[in-house]
Amino acid sequence: MSVIGERVPRSDGRAKASGEAEYGVDHAEPDMIWGALVRSPVSSGRITRLDTAPALAMPGVHAVVTAADAPDTRAGWVLRDQRLFAADRVLYEGQPVAAVAADTLELAREAAAAVVLEIEPLPAVVDLDAALRPDAPLVHPDWESYVPALGPDADYPRHGNLAAESVSDPPGVDDAFARAHRVVTDEFVVQRQYQAYIEPKSAVGIYRDGRFTVHTAHQFPYNVRDRVSQFLDVRPSAVRIVGHTIGGGFGAKLDAALEPYAALLSKAARGRAVKLVNTRTEDLITCPSREGAITRVRSALDEDGTIIARELEVIADNGAYSGEMPWLASIALHCARGVYRAGPTRVTARLVYTNTAPTGAFRGVNGTYLYHAVERHMDHIAAELGVDRREYRLRHLFDDGEELLNGQVLTDAGILREGFEAIEAAAPWAKLEAERRPYRGIGIAAAWWLTNPMPGTAVVKLHEDGTAAVITAATDNGSGAVSMGVTQIVAERLGIPPSDVFVTLPDTDVAGFDAGSQGSRTTRIVGKASQIAADEVITKLKDVAAGLLEAAADDLEVADGTVRVKGAPGTSVPIAVVAATATNTVGPIQGTGSFVTPFPDFNPGCATGLMLPSFPTPTYHVHLAEVEVDPVTGTVQVLRYLVAQEVGAVISPDGTYGQVMGGVTQGIGYALHESLRIGEDGRYRERTLESYRLPLAGDVPRVEFFPLEHPDPDGPHGAKGVGEGPILLPAAVIANAVSDAIGRPLNNIPITPEEVLAALQTAELRNDEEHVR
Amino acid sequence: MTELASGSTSQRELASESTSQRNTESITVTVNGHAYTADCEPRVTLADFLRHTCGLTGTHLGCEHGVCGACTILVDGRSARACLMLAVQADGATITTVEGLAAGNALNPLQEAFWDNHGLQCGFCTPGMLMTATELLADNPDPDAAEVREGLSGNLCRCTGYDSIVRSVLDAAQRMRG
Repeated sequence: MSVIGERVPRSDGRAKASGEAEYGVDHAEPDMIWGALVRSPVSSGRITRLDTAPALAMPGVHAVVTAADAPDTRAGWVLRDQRLFAADRVLYEGQPVAAVAADTLELAREAAAAVVLEIEPLPAVVDLDAALRPDAPLVHPDWESYVPALGPDADYPRHGNLAAESVSDPPGVDDAFARAHRVVTDEFVVQRQYQAYIEPKSAVGIYRDGRFTVHTAHQFPYNVRDRVSQFLDVRPSAVRIVGHTIGGGFGAKLDAALEPYAALLSKAARGRAVKLVNTRTEDLITCPSREGAITRVRSALDEDGTIIARELEVIADNGAYSGEMPWLASIALHCARGVYRAGPTRVTARLVYTNTAPTGAFRGVNGTYLYHAVERHMDHIAAELGVDRREYRLRHLFDDGEELLNGQVLTDAGILREGFEAIEAAAPWAKLEAERRPYRGIGIAAAWWLTNPMPGTAVVKLHEDGTAAVITAATDNGSGAVSMGVTQIVAERLGIPPSDVFVTLPDTDVAGFDAGSQGSRTTRIVGKASQIAADEVITKLKDVAAGLLEAAADDLEVADGTVRVKGAPGTSVPIAVVAATATNTVGPIQGTGSFVTPFPDFNPGCATGLMLPSFPTPTYHVHLAEVEVDPVTGTVQVLRYLVAQEVGAVISPDGTYGQVMGGVTQGIGYALHESLRIGEDGRYRERTLESYRLPLAGDVPRVEFFPLEHPDPDGPHGAKGVGEGPILLPAAVIANAVSDAIGRPLNNIPITPEEVLAALQTAELRNDEEHVR
Repeated sequence: MTELASGSTSQRELASESTSQRNTESITVTVNGHAYTADCEPRVTLADFLRHTCGLTGTHLGCEHGVCGACTILVDGRSARACLMLAVQADGATITTVEGLAAGNALNPLQEAFWDNHGLQCGFCTPGMLMTATELLADNPDPDAAEVREGLSGNLCRCTGYDSIVRSVLDAAQRMRG
């Protein structure tokens, strides 16, 4: 019986429900001591005094390290622009200036507080537009000397506070605007969003035998290895990263955080294991949150209302250091039209250094606010034209064969129309419109997205009892991609129950490179690599069983825990027997598989700074929301939420729905609840989970989900990515629905009750004035 | 320390103040049926006592100021946030943590229901959800979905969107009613 598409218990469910699971923050080592970081209390300034002596003098303190104790080098995922410790200037609040190790956590924090740090404040660069003015102070006066992680040849357009720039300027844009019947213009502003995983970041570092080992709960262990290697100036193989159960990540645990500090502290403490754990406030203010951004978009329309050209400019907040961000900036090119034909489109994406915490990846990255901008803009255009919003979208919707701005051809974009139809069947638009009540509104939006193509590998090892182990550096951040998806795929191939497949936790000394749990890639990439590895196991099983069964290997199949003759299932031998026989004759059975998705063809001349050139393994998404606004409190309740999503094939129904329900909830939080303001001083205003408000159980309805399945021939059992898509559109559809409900455009994210009330009051004033006239 | 101190002077004052208070007190706490007696600094939270002194790391710390609910435990039968209690306040108390729910290797019906209904993803909030739901079902063995949502509204989950957790609790209620 197939286990693909079936409900299976997740392999980590017992440990997680019993309290036995060991998360990163639970990990302990013999003789372990504790660390704490001294962090800058201001976002911009010059260090005038740093005295560690009071901390070092405290009994029970083992080490205090500063920039003077770290290699004189810069590190970074894309650009090497970051030192381990601030040496002269501090560039964001929370930036590490020193680190201490002591007998207990309490003592380590006391010692950190005893370090004397005096900083002369400097003006903070915070405003994105101001940061780009010629007279703006430079966040990095030495920006020209920085080198990309892949070497000088990998450099890309950047200058001063402009951390990265991607520009696409095809012919015909200005001509179209010149002859336009009408031009519609918008500006959208979005705040940052904190990933707010419930397990704060932690790390345990051990320096032993000339090598660094770091225990951490991380989405991308190999990236941590590389970052620790850069910061501590040792070769990558001198660093070993051991992964643990992850208490949520959502992109924030893709780059190193506490790991290099724990490693260096252990070396300074003569090899004692050192553990670092963030307080929630430390975690929040230093997390690589989703960046805030300003998106300006204008469209040229002909006399029929058809969009004939567009211009989109996005200015995104890089924070003080680049992290992964330059690589993501060019995504604006792929989302600038959404999924609608818009004629020649000029796209400018600018990433700006500021004196704020470095931003980074959060599920769906910049797609969330780019689609918010494009889809709000579509509603605005439809309103200007006085046409139905859904109908207007369908008029411009991509079809099969659509050629994109980068030259990539979407052969299957017609799936979008299926998505609209699936939503329509469950929630007919005309009926929703007809049944409209005061303060209720509806919104609809659509998107396309990629499945991260980056490489992965797995070894499938057959035990002599007929069970299998999968050795991989892939990580299950909770999605079930490993604990169900990869497990099911291997079980299916080997004809054994999922409960007989054990997937290891990642260890970079043991498992080959894996690009981490990001971009919805794990089920597809690691699932495929594991499937290839399992196929090698099957070949070897058949070869050994051929001798036992006195049959040709080609006549055998592996199924139901046995190797058997095709068409004669009675002639069989248990896998366990074959495995044991193999061990003693040809040697133990294992197989290896690797997989990477190639980037689809694109036109390299279409843009400058095109770091992410095209979208591999596209998926398609249509969302609809119905909301109700409370005109007294300004709060918004989401009454209904519908998702139609192309998934390739459902491997695990629980996992797929879990990603949809969870991703939409994070998107609802982004749209309505999660205010993360930055003051003029560059410091966050919301600093705890009390003021940074996550959606609660009563804030979200059960999402009505309609999976669209068009199996991808390269994916395991047809699988494409699932996890990111659900967060792309909630901000767009909810903003459209709230604007619809109150009859006023709401163009900023989040839409807090204060913003709703302000918009309602503006509307009332306007009505009163009209009444007087 | 949930907030960064803003100046070195105040940081030093804080440090000397807490250093001078390093005395201990002997406490006895019964956790999951086992009596733990330990000398405990008054500043140690009950959560840290459970995690570090008792070695029971199933009680998770998400925020350390009573918002997320991941550290929810039962103290003398009522739910409490282990991060908001000092260990010395629990002297003489009977405590149940997530490790006390299963009978040996057999998960209890609530834990089984969470596993069966995909009521967890990363699982970090799960112990707190389980303990809150334990109290909820003890008070109301037959809740409806709205009551479950209300009852869990003091516990944060960042992964699931709550729906599968609500279904898990409803399923558990049915199993427990038999």
